[in-house]
Amino acid sequence: MDTILFPARQSTAKESLAAYRGRGGYEALSAIVDAQAPARVIEEVQAAGLRGRGGAAFPTGTKLELTAKAQAEQKFVVANGGEDEPGSFKDRILMEHHPHLILEGVTLCALAVGATKGYLYVNRTYAAAQASLAAAMQEAAGKAYLGRGILGSAFSFELELFRAPTPYVAGEDTAALEVLEGKDPVPREKPPYPVQAGLFGKPTLVSNIETMANIPRIVLRGAAWFRGFGTAQSPGTMIFCLGEEVRRPGAYELPLGTPLRQLIDGCGGGLRDGKAIKAILPGGPSTAFLPATCLDTPLDHQAMRDAGSILGCGVMELIPVGRCMLEEALKHAGFFAAESCGACPACRMETSTFQTLLRQIKEGKGTPMLLDQFDKVAAFNRGKGRCSLIAMAAAPVLSAVRHFRGDFEHHLAHGTCPPG
Amino acid sequence: MEGRRYLLVCRNIDCRGRGSDELMAAIKKGLDERGVEDIEVKEYMCFGACHEAPNIVLHPSRHWYAAVKPGDVKAILDHLCGGPAVERLMNKIDPTHREFIFQLLDAGLF
Repeated sequence: MDTILFPARQSTAKESLAAYRGRGGYEALSAIVDAQAPARVIEEVQAAGLRGRGGAAFPTGTKLELTAKAQAEQKFVVANGGEDEPGSFKDRILMEHHPHLILEGVTLCALAVGATKGYLYVNRTYAAAQASLAAAMQEAAGKAYLGRGILGSAFSFELELFRAPTPYVAGEDTAALEVLEGKDPVPREKPPYPVQAGLFGKPTLVSNIETMANIPRIVLRGAAWFRGFGTAQSPGTMIFCLGEEVRRPGAYELPLGTPLRQLIDGCGGGLRDGKAIKAILPGGPSTAFLPATCLDTPLDHQAMRDAGSILGCGVMELIPVGRCMLEEALKHAGFFAAESCGACPACRMETSTFQTLLRQIKEGKGTPMLLDQFDKVAAFNRGKGRCSLIAMAAAPVLSAVRHFRGDFEHHLAHGTCPPG
Repeated sequence: MEGRRYLLVCRNIDCRGRGSDELMAAIKKGLDERGVEDIEVKEYMCFGACHEAPNIVLHPSRHWYAAVKPGDVKAILDHLCGGPAVERLMNKIDPTHREFIFQLLDAGLF
């Protein structure tokens, strides 16, 4: 199957510089430097319709353009490899196995927006990814792909590897900027957005690792080639992570628009225990559960939204028949209550209220009226807070109550999980 | 428990920052001194009214006392012991917001 990011013959070893060059690596950078045409990067990415792969799906071309247009004597680029979504490992795989793809992507972004300094913001537990990137940075500098006077041009770009802390919010773009400035990982008030005033108050492009990895390929092969993958509204591919609940766990790069069932059964081999699927959490813990009736939904932004969820960062969680959805909701509510940084009262209110509501229902303490309170709590807090954690925490809980109300009612009536 | 009354004290950031811990201790002490036994003083995760912190809500009587100061404790204790409600601390919070919280409490979330 054709892919954009992974080479045709995938291996678990680090892709060498020679192997990367063998598939056109650094040719995009070379072409842009030779032609002195950094604006072409932005044009191609815009024409390609690339959207962020970190979860928010923001149009990458727009972000590049806004940072490029910002007037400042210094700008920064941050490649976000915090990857704090539980279960997600696609950025780690890219950094570990294809470090030069990341380096070329970051450098092209820097060239496009006029940044002279960049950071690889890498999850501190990813030792192998850091080692792989560090070695690749040395190799790239040796070939003048990085550093002073890139490929003999006047363009210089200094890149630094940064070991990122692992709280969930530390991967939020402005929290990452705080960390890079030596502060605690607490999201900033927005606006201003990073493209206006980011790192040390300077215009900063913060983009996810997988997003940046697409850029050398788009510049090299062109927007039309990129659009040969995926759908008109969701062009390109995305890497989806399947966990240990399937027979063949792994990171699978698929064209957007591929049916969910093909990923789970075709790539993953179905659930390990042969059980049927009860629910799918399609994009990480901050997305809404889908019932099994949605298994034929195409993996693209619009279709997922129509079904009631989002693609998020593409980490799939599959719930087998027999599992209690109150327990699943409680697990995620507990996660967000623990990961809320505490800076915004509304976030603490929502996350702790969800957790308390679910615990009471679990114990069978209260009336069915409790089931109607989730939507009210979410509505009360919607739009509040500095980051999107409030919306994230609501998605799995509200959807679990909506689609699997029977499990909650059973708990209220009996204080136990429904029979499998 | 039938007939039981609850005095719920918000313990989120703003309320604590403006003295809800001290208020809670003072109210508990006052109720002990007056020998009141049918009221349970409990902390509450949040009433979402940080702008009028600290907040105290009486359940099930639906009295919401906002921006409570140490000097208000005596009047609140008087109310709990059969005196009039403390009007000056009431009606500071938007009615829709109050109703949202009262419904949470009526549903049993406390």
